[in-house]
Parts: sequence; structure tokens; C-alpha cells
Amino acid sequence: MILRKALRLPLVLVVVTFLSFLLLNLLPGDPALQILGGSATEEARAQLRAQLGLDDPLFARYASWLGGLLTGDLGTSYVTSIPVLDALADRLPVTLELLVAAELLALALAVPLAVAAARRAGGAIDQGLTTLSFGLLSTPVFVLGVVLILVFAVKLKALPATGWTDFSVDPYWNLLSVLLPAVTLAAGQLAVYSRLLRTDLIATLQEDYITLARARGLSPRRILWRHALRPSAISLITAIGLNMGALIGGTVIVETLFGLPGVGRLIVESIFARDYLTVQGGVVLISVGYVLVNFAVDLVYAAVDPRIRRA
Amino acid sequence: MPRRAALRRLGWGFWASAAWVVLLVLAAALADLLPLHPYDRTLAGPPQSGPSPAHPFGTDGLGRDMLSRVVYGARVSLGVGIGAVLLGLLIGAPFGLVAGYRGRLTDAVIMSVNDIALAFPALVFALAVVAFAGASMRNVLIVLGVLGVPAWTRLIRGATMAFAGREFVTAARALGARDRRILWREIVPNVALPASSYAFIGMAVAVVAEGGLAFLGLSVQPPTPTWGGLINEGRNIMETAPHVVLAPSLVLFVTVLAFNLVGDRLRALTDVREIGLEPGRRRAALPPLPAAEHDVEPALLQVADLRTHFETARGTVRAVDGVSFALNRGRTLAIVGESGSGKSMLIRSILGLLPAAGVRRGGKVYLEGREIGDLEPEDLREILGTRFAAVFQDPMTALNPVRTIGAQVMEPLRVHLKLTRAAARARAADLLASVGIPDPVRMLKRYPHQLSGGMRQRVTIAMALSCDPDVLFADEPTTALDVTVQDQVLRLIHRQREERDMAMVLVSHDLAVVAQWADEVIVMYGGKVVERGPAAALFEHTRMPYTEALLQAIPALSDPSHKRLRVIQGRPPDLAAPPAGCRFQPRCPYARERCASEEPPLVRAETRDHLYACWYPLGTEAAAAEEAEIIEGTESRGR
Ligand code: SF4
Repeated sequence: MILRKALRLPLVLVVVTFLSFLLLNLLPGDPALQILGGSATEEARAQLRAQLGLDDPLFARYASWLGGLLTGDLGTSYVTSIPVLDALADRLPVTLELLVAAELLALALAVPLAVAAARRAGGAIDQGLTTLSFGLLSTPVFVLGVVLILVFAVKLKALPATGWTDFSVDPYWNLLSVLLPAVTLAAGQLAVYSRLLRTDLIATLQEDYITLARARGLSPRRILWRHALRPSAISLITAIGLNMGALIGGTVIVETLFGLPGVGRLIVESIFARDYLTVQGGVVLISVGYVLVNFAVDLVYAAVDPRIRRA
Repeated sequence: MPRRAALRRLGWGFWASAAWVVLLVLAAALADLLPLHPYDRTLAGPPQSGPSPAHPFGTDGLGRDMLSRVVYGARVSLGVGIGAVLLGLLIGAPFGLVAGYRGRLTDAVIMSVNDIALAFPALVFALAVVAFAGASMRNVLIVLGVLGVPAWTRLIRGATMAFAGREFVTAARALGARDRRILWREIVPNVALPASSYAFIGMAVAVVAEGGLAFLGLSVQPPTPTWGGLINEGRNIMETAPHVVLAPSLVLFVTVLAFNLVGDRLRALTDVREIGLEPGRRRAALPPLPAAEHDVEPALLQVADLRTHFETARGTVRAVDGVSFALNRGRTLAIVGESGSGKSMLIRSILGLLPAAGVRRGGKVYLEGREIGDLEPEDLREILGTRFAAVFQDPMTALNPVRTIGAQVMEPLRVHLKLTRAAARARAADLLASVGIPDPVRMLKRYPHQLSGGMRQRVTIAMALSCDPDVLFADEPTTALDVTVQDQVLRLIHRQREERDMAMVLVSHDLAVVAQWADEVIVMYGGKVVERGPAAALFEHTRMPYTEALLQAIPALSDPSHKRLRVIQGRPPDLAAPPAGCRFQPRCPYARERCASEEPPLVRAETRDHLYACWYPLGTEAAAAEEAEIIEGTESRGR
């Protein structure tokens, strides 16, 4: 299975980058005009067209663009005159910190909740968790973020509403500034993970080896954590990878809402500044990152389930 | 499922949600006819004023009526939500139907394209496409619709596959119905329920996605209000007028919740009930069944009037219905019967390994004269761990697939005997060696899937023996094994039983095995004991016709192996509605009228300790006398 995925990886990457590349072709009218704006001279536009190779055949353009991508050249923004790669590298750490914090928060809460719910399926904790996750699943990120800001920043004044403090500047303030955004992002993941894990745990608990573990006089706690959790975690791990897409989409909104200087906000700002090369670069970065994360998740499988290692 | 029951199962949440969706759709469609302020008239009321009779949702920063803006915003949200789902369905369903129905290569091609399509971070792509192609309702709808296609294809394919293999479809195919006809007449209606469930979930997803885009300013542009746009506007005046942001937030939340709930309830129509490790609600545990009067014997293990009934939709299933026996050290008790006779459930009932919900139990289990039913959980676990041990039928499922053999064999030693890690490891290796596993130290590092079935069963036996149990429960320990290793494993168990002076309860459907190894035998039929006694007496002076039938079903060793399973005519009884009188009566060749009306009690034969439940036991005067009677009046037989 791993081998098949490894063989497919390059294909997926080609498709993903090709689609990102095609984005520029969606621009209505003359792309050079759109990129440079109405005030640009005819020579400048002709030069850009030549540079972007807009007059060449599509695949030739893609090949040269891909070559640039592989050598780390995503072009230079016509709006800010900053190389796109530098702008992205500058913003990436913030987004990564946000993603990791949200993911850890979601898992740290989802696993114990799912275990407690599966132990007594249909019990009070289980029903509470079902209701909670249903509510969280139905709360769009921007709604939850707005409500959290309203409660914790505006009313209680306990946390900063917006803004970012770098970890190297002040670790404590850094944690405070990532807290609300991370909670906002984590909520939806928490709902997905806990429901999924709970269902898989309940299925695992019907297995013979669990019945035999009970017959050996092991405690419910031990059976759940040591015997049932790992065989049940497979779909959870897949979900972590697949949900990364939703999570990254969420960062765009959360970074905008909380004013964090991450990749997502860069993309949104660039859209409004008509800085199309930066938008394109951000999309490539995110989609390639997403594909790679999912591939890494498949590798984690093998560590969790020895049966897969064979393949 | 009867339609009435299905509708009731949907619950009030479903109907409230459906009502909200209908209300919202009507309001959005008829917004122009409703007595609302125009959504864009500034100073319709004082700016930033809270909810009032004139403006139920208050007004925004420019004094525009929020209720009107939210209602008009619903046009965009619902329009995109419903439109995107329909578009995704329209493109995805044909692919899914064809992939699921055709299978093989068609399926492989469609699904790998689909997998690649799923490997995109959807929202970021939607964002980028809208950014480049221009923010308009049409573009948003198309992008969200297309992004929904892979999920639709996958869902429809799965549902189609599930039905394409069912009898009615296979039958239609065999009758030569054309493919297209089968798809339309047989499969499409059956796929409709999962599809409509997913349609609502998909609408929730699309509404949220559109809201996100609108929040970023990338959906329909002002002055047309959108929910996401309203929330974005409102957050700037959150401190002075929180209602401006809260009103659209609340409506959006309720709408998404309603879509999700409707979808979830529809899906749940096909769900099965889930059972956890312990009862969900303590109070919901069913009260125990009363146990009959009995004396406590000085035996090692005594089971008295044990009952296990399951409450199911079809009624009470009496899986174990009043079983009693006593067993001493050094003896092997065999429990025999067809599958479904309750013999495995008997073992699980003794060990307390029943499902957490829907069970009523009754009767007592004594270990050395002490009742174990009312012990604290910790004390009961101590007994389960050190005094009782169990081996199950299928070694493929008896070991945890993701833990090493070592971790599993060492665990009881560490937990119950409190051994150190090193001591437990040494002891585990000894145990494995004692059950005939070569190279035990290396075996400790292996995983179950690397072992053959016979080796795995030896491992489970080693685990069962690890804490020196007094009673070993072996539930069909060799049935799932290769014929060549069956005998080895039985010999191993028997030798261990003798060496350790244990008592053993051996469950089997194979009387040849029982005859060879058992000291005492219980024959179960339909959850009840129908004959019980010392092995020799029971086999030589069989009283109960069912036991005789089982004995006749023993394959002769000379038979070729594929002919070895001879079965008894008829089916085992339905335990939810057992036949009146003797439960074996519908299949019994000796049955008479009395058998259908009165249930025979368990009575003592003239041989010591031999009990049977039959009105006309074999080889006795009662049967012979009636036999003669019937031969004289042949017409009373009816046929
Ligand atoms: S009681 Fe009647 S039906 Fe039952 S086993 Fe005896 S003879 Fe057969």
C-alpha cells in the first residue's frame, strides 16, 4: 500500500502544481494587464507577457514554470517587489505554529473524550460528546472565532483579540496570541476526531481479543488505553491527514480574523492587492504541503499497525 | 421497516430542523413579498440600535434593518448551498453509479482519478479560483459544486456496490434485464436514502464554505448582503453593537445545524445499536432473573440455574435458560450442542463477558462455595485473572493484532502476579516453551500476523495458563485449526490440565473429541440442558433423542474428510420463540402429542448422576410401551 502511494505521489504533485499554474489563465482579459494594473505601459506588459511566456504553448509554459518552482523561484511580486518565496518563508512559521497548536489541542481533548464515551456507549458522557461535537461541527470557524473574541477579548478582556507576538520576542505573549486562534481552529477537528475515534473504539470493543482481555481480569481503563486504542486509531490517523485540508482553509479565515501574519492572510491580502503571483505561490505552497502531509500520514500508519509494514 | 416506525425514529430534532429549513427557504424565496424594510435602506432606524419591535434583529452601523439583511442574505447562502449540491450530484452520481455497478477496471480508473481529486485542499482552491476568476455567485456556486464531486462519486459508488451484489439485482441481471434498466429500477431507489442524507450534509458544507468566502469578501459583492459578509461587517462594531455580528451568526449556526441534523437522522435510519465496554446507564441495567432454590456444594466450580436472556427487537432471546452443574479439580466437563445451542454463551455468562446492554441474567456461580456474582469489580477481576482462564475458538481474532506476542503474554504476569519486566519476560519465554513453541525468546518480539493459526492458538493457551488458573474454559479450541494440528492442540491442553491439576470446561460440537477427552458431558439444546452425566454412561445409555442424533452425526474416521460433517435434519430452534413443549420436538423422530404441549423436566436415570429431559427416553420401558401402542393403532400417527 505504501509503495502504491509512493508511486502515486509524483503524479498527484504534478496535477496539483499544474492546477495551481492554470489559475493565472482564469484571469479575465489580458493577464498582463490584470497583473500590472491599468497604469502600466504597453512595453512593460509586453515584457511581462514574454516573461510569463504567455505567448508560448501551455505545456511549455508549465514546464518552465515548474523548473522555476523546483529551483525555488516563484517569481517576484509586481506589487511589493519582494520575491514570492521570501514573502512566503517569512509568513510560514506563524501558520505552522497555529496548525500544530490546533492539532495538538484537538487531539489532546478528543482522545480522552472518545475513550470515556466508548467505555459506556449511550451513557451520559457519550451523549454529551455527541451533542457537543454536533454543535461544534455546525459552527463555522468565523462564527466561533467572532464569538470567542466577543467573550474573551471584548467582554472579559482576558486575551488579546488580534495581533501576533513572535516566540523569539516574548514566549508568554506568543502563547497568548496563538491561544484563541488555535482554539477556534481546533474545535471542528475535535468534533471530527472524537466522533470517529469513539465509533472505531466501539467497534474494536466487540473483538474477541478484547473479550479475552476482559476474561484475563484486566481493568477497563487498561483495556481501553492499551488494547483498544491503537487498533482503533487507523481511521483517526487518516482523518488527521484528510482534515488538514479543512484546517488549512480554516487558517486563512482565522489568520484574517485574528490578524495573524501567516500565509493565509498573505494570500487574502494579495488577492485584494491584485498580487496574483504571490497568491499563486501561496496556493502552490499549501497544496504541495497538504499532499506531502498526507503522504507522511500514510507512513505513520505503518508505525501504528504492524500488519501494514509487510506490504 | 414499517414507514410509521421509521418516521417516529427520526425524532423531534429532525422535524424541528426540517421545519427551520422549509421556513428559511420560503422566507428567502418570498423575501420581496414579506413586510420587510428594504435591505439597503440606510437609516431605516437609528444606527447600531439593539433588537426592538420595529427591528427584531436591530440595525447595523448605517441604520439598515438587520432582519431584512439576514433574510436577503439567505438567498445567497441557500442558493449556493442547494445549487452546489445539485451540481456535485449531477456530475458525481453518474460516475459513482457506473463505477459501483460495473466494478473492475471502470471502477479502478474512476476511483483513482477520484482519489487524486480528493487530495486537494478544497477551500484554498476555491478561494484561489474565485480570486482569479472573479467573485460572483455563479463562480462560487460552480467552484463549490465541482469540489463536491469526488465525495459524491465515492458515496454513490459505495451505496451502489452494496446493492449491486444483492439477490434482487443479481436475479434481475440473470433474467437478462438491461443494465440501464437495472440501474434505474433496482439500484437508484435504494441509493436514494444515503444520497438524500448526504445531500443535506453537503448543503451544510457548502453553506459554511460560502460563508467563509463571503467573510473574506470573496463571494457575492455588496450591496447584496451575505451572511458571511454581515458577520465580517459586524465584527468591527462588536464592542458597541454585538447584535450586528450575533444575529447573522446565530442564524447561520442554526441553519448549518439543521442541515446536519436532517442529514444525520436520515443516515441513522440504517444504523445498528452500539454497545460499549460497560453499561451506558447504570439504572438502565436490567434486573436479574430469579434463581431457583439450590444447595451450595463443596465443588471447585458450581453453576446454579444460570440464565442469560437478551432483550431484542424480536423479543426475549433465551440464550442460556437454567443451566446447573458442579465440577471438581482434575475433571473435564464437555458441553456439546450445535451452534446456537447456547454453549458458548454459557461460558461467557459464567465469566461475566456479556455485552453491556440489553442483557438479563440470572443464577449463581460459586468458586469453592463462594458466590462470585456480587463481588466488587476488582475482586472479580482478580478471580478472572488468576483462578479462571479462557481459550476461544478463533486464534486469528484472539490476539491483539498491533501488540507483540511478548507484550500480550507478559501482561497478566505483570498485572496479576506483579512480576518485574525482566522476570515476566523470562516467565513468558518459559510458558511459550511449555506449549511447544520453538525459539520462544524470538517469538516474544513477533506480531500475531506473522504466526500460523496453530502457533497462535498455542500462544493463547500459554496466556491462559500464565497465572496458574484452577479452571480452564476452552471454547471450541481447535475448530478453527487445520485438521492436522487439531489433535496436537487437544493433547497439549489435556496434558496441561493433568499436570496442573486444573478443572476444564471444554465446549465442542464434535462428539468424537468429547468422547476422547471428557469425564462428564452436558448436552445443550436451545439454551437448556437436555442430557447430563458421566461420559461413559451418557454415551452407552443415551436417553435423549437429540444426543442420539448428535452421536449418529459423528463422522466415521473412514469417511473421506469432505463427507465428515453429517448434519441433523431441520433447524435449531428460534430462541426468541422456542417451540412449545419439548424444544427438540419439531425435529425429533420419536415425538408424540405430549411432546408438543408439555416440556419434559430434567429427570434422573437409573445410572448414577445421569440426567435427561425427555418424555419418551430411548431404551426404556416408557418408550417401548408407547411404541407398541402406536404400532397397534397406526391411524393415530396421522400420516
Ligand atoms: S420429549 Fe418428545 S420430542 Fe422431546 S426429545 Fe423426547 S421424544 Fe423427542
